[in-house]
Amino acid sequence: MAEKAPGVLAVIHHGNAPTLYRPDNDFMSASKPGEARVVFEDDRVHYSGQYVAIIVAETLEQARYAAELVQVSYAVEDPTIETDAALDSAYLPDEFFGEKLTTTRGDPDVALSRAAVTHAATYTTPIEHHNPIEPSASVAVWNGDELTLYETTQWVAGARKTVAQTLGMPEEKIHIVSPFIGGGFGCKGFVWPHSILSAVAAKRVNRPVKLNLTRKHMFSACGHRSETKQYVQLGAERNGRLVAIDHDTVVQTSMVDEFVEACGNTSRFLYSCPNVRVRHRAVRVNVATPTPMRAPGENPGLFALESALDELAYLLNMDPVELRIVNHADVNEQARRPWSSKYLKECYRMGAERFGWAKRAPQPGSMRDGNVLVGWGMATATYPGIRSPGAAKVRLLQDGHVDVVSATQDMGGGTYTTMAQIAADVMGIAIERIRTVLGDSLLPPAPVSGGSMTTASILPATRKAAQDALSKLRHLAATMPASPFTNRRPDDIVAEGGRVFPKGAHPSSGLPYEDVLKRTNQTEIEGEGYTEPGPERDKYAFQSFGAQFVEVRVDPEIAKVQISRVVSAFDVGKIVNAKTARSQGYSGVVMGVGVALMEHTVYDSRDGSIITSNLADYAIPVNADTRSIDILFVDKPDPFIDSDGLGARGLGEITVTGVAPAVANAVYHATGRRIRDLPITPDKLL
Amino acid sequence: MLRDEPTLTPLAGCTDLYVALNFGTLKDTRFLDLWRLDRLRKIELRGGALSIGALATFTDLIRSTLVRKRLPMLAAAARDVGGVQIQNRGTIGGNVANASPAGDTLPVLAAADAVVVLQQAGGIRRVPFDGFYTGYRQTVRRPGELIVGIEIPPVRGRQFFRKVGTRAAQAISKIVMAGILGPATGSGRTARIALGSVAPTVVRVPRTEAALASGASIEAVQRTLMEEIAPIDDLRSTAEYRRRVAANLLARFVCGASRG
Repeated sequence: MAEKAPGVLAVIHHGNAPTLYRPDNDFMSASKPGEARVVFEDDRVHYSGQYVAIIVAETLEQARYAAELVQVSYAVEDPTIETDAALDSAYLPDEFFGEKLTTTRGDPDVALSRAAVTHAATYTTPIEHHNPIEPSASVAVWNGDELTLYETTQWVAGARKTVAQTLGMPEEKIHIVSPFIGGGFGCKGFVWPHSILSAVAAKRVNRPVKLNLTRKHMFSACGHRSETKQYVQLGAERNGRLVAIDHDTVVQTSMVDEFVEACGNTSRFLYSCPNVRVRHRAVRVNVATPTPMRAPGENPGLFALESALDELAYLLNMDPVELRIVNHADVNEQARRPWSSKYLKECYRMGAERFGWAKRAPQPGSMRDGNVLVGWGMATATYPGIRSPGAAKVRLLQDGHVDVVSATQDMGGGTYTTMAQIAADVMGIAIERIRTVLGDSLLPPAPVSGGSMTTASILPATRKAAQDALSKLRHLAATMPASPFTNRRPDDIVAEGGRVFPKGAHPSSGLPYEDVLKRTNQTEIEGEGYTEPGPERDKYAFQSFGAQFVEVRVDPEIAKVQISRVVSAFDVGKIVNAKTARSQGYSGVVMGVGVALMEHTVYDSRDGSIITSNLADYAIPVNADTRSIDILFVDKPDPFIDSDGLGARGLGEITVTGVAPAVANAVYHATGRRIRDLPITPDKLL
Repeated sequence: MLRDEPTLTPLAGCTDLYVALNFGTLKDTRFLDLWRLDRLRKIELRGGALSIGALATFTDLIRSTLVRKRLPMLAAAARDVGGVQIQNRGTIGGNVANASPAGDTLPVLAAADAVVVLQQAGGIRRVPFDGFYTGYRQTVRRPGELIVGIEIPPVRGRQFFRKVGTRAAQAISKIVMAGILGPATGSGRTARIALGSVAPTVVRVPRTEAALASGASIEAVQRTLMEEIAPIDDLRSTAEYRRRVAANLLARFVCGASRG
């Protein structure tokens, strides 16, 4: 019936879809679908929201109408939705992105049994969805056997390879374009079925096809953060020194792929401790495949560990900041390597000072403002300092403009700005003359905009490309006949501050960059930059750190938590741009407040459908939910992160870590109620 | 037009209608756009009553000096509706017609003994707000009838409005309460209390009001209220939370008012 509906051009489903191939599904080689199962691969429905057909019509309204006419008959089976219902079949996944998921150091059992003070509790976090304000979308355009996909992707290179493998095409025939992204947070990192569907549909109807996900689709079609259940045991001496950490996690994964929220991996090295055990188990449920969501692992993992540490501080009658300083890890004890640079103590000091932590009365419920309960809590923040190979080009044009290009992406974090800034710095020209071009798979290769790796991967390459452009400019100048550079070697020529001039001479004696091009009849000069991590990766542990301080005000009559003040201090190496960095800080804190107080996807356990698949029922914070947010940076360069002296680690993800436990700890301080189950909604506090 | 085709769905700001359309739950297919009937946008005094045209937007309510003077709790409720864009489009008539138990202005109208003015080709009838809703999203409005306005008789006493939502703004309510506390008479005080999000419709709580009038202790009045309402567990909260917070809000209202 749908096929005959007005305006319908094609109805594609399992029965008539073209042959599609499972891609390698290997992150390290840039082949990464959101889930291993290829769309329309079989006639089984594994989770609510799984695509069963796509309809192409002349108009969106006609397509939606026809979709209502599609009749699907199912043999109904009982789904498994809840973690607890699947616990018996929990299994031990081996690795997550190359990291072991079960490790033991020392003997935690013995250490726990002998510890002077112990704490053990279970912490749980719910399924959360990224919900960027821009939903995912894909426009497919075929030109003969070549495909252009206009995408909302955090990884144009990954999209190109993954789509190529899925469609069974050579990579060279596929062009991915994604210049602007309205937020991603991880849900646009890998290739999800809609991108394959738009390509398949456009081929079938032989014209461009646009496929936009609705907000409702965003809850089932591009990943989520798994629910987690974490049992944490801590053992300590009376002086606060940790003797044992046991972090045992159960997460969910789907029936069609494996993704593990590695909650415990940070617990292996965040504090100094001789006996540490970390274990992750997974259960398979009839829910879509989870995917990375801003600080995967660290975000829920630190909620458990940092809440537990706060509980330990009360057991020891010790200040929470002091407890963390006592257990400061001077080296990475898991990797047995020194840190490349670490200023965590400085973060505690800066944050505590700005916050006024010294005035904290430790007794829960002891700080009041009239009828309102005031609570102060803190937590450590952390995220790895990841770096990948990356390339950029810097083109100096005859009209004086400079193009800076790389196949990286800008999700809103400021990559356009920082790339232009680095090039302007090196070339000594106004930033207005720089144009950044990115988000296009034809440009020099770059890694995924994820894992907080863009700054450390792309900016050194950009700097190198700009330096290369200037070097080529000097060589070009040396060839100019009848000029100030006649008979000079390139080394005797200086290119800086927008002018080329003989070494030792005044800049005014030379020429503007573009004049060298004009007088040598060159349309442009292209500098190339490629940088990659080297042996320093085996010598040092690269990790960013921070401290989150939160003040909450709780109205006891309605049990509602208002975040009145947040102070965050981060050590992320050198700050390249104070404004974009601070904005990452604000957004991380706001997102963390959502995690702490609101975000929670609710499933109907009878059929696995999502009840909260809209932004009214899935609450995220509005401006009024956070008041004062202070973002501080240590701003000291990491001497080993890159060999180009930039010294900047990324900071997209660390900013959200530690917020939820700091809020939970503040809520305990305000009310005496320890909430170990996120989000902290009023009904749990009453 | 409504006389000829009584099943037409009247639309104004569309702030609820578009949500239903987007969710695919909108059954109606033919509509009557009221938006340009400026005559229904008036806020004025008529025979001692505050008369509010059905098309008055929440922004109109917030800005109206008449509303702020006579019924400040209605301005407070209007401020808690959605964001500014929604306040600019959404109308009080739409809020009443949509008949959601969580409608932000409805407890105010219930507590204020408002009257819903319904008009059809044959004439006008007035329905007391307390009798307007017959069940979950059900009203006494007949096909062919249009809500043209709300009339609110003079209100004496202290007014109170409080909405508790899932976040600090742009939230659907977990619980919403409006009340009017009259001057002390003899032993007790006359009170009119209404709540949203605790029953299939917005509700008045006559037993609680009677307890207040009889001069019962605040604890006794709170107990009566907790027995009188029948909230449910849902996405936004639990029955237990709503019951206890309703009691706490009542205490704040009554005790706060007696201090003033």
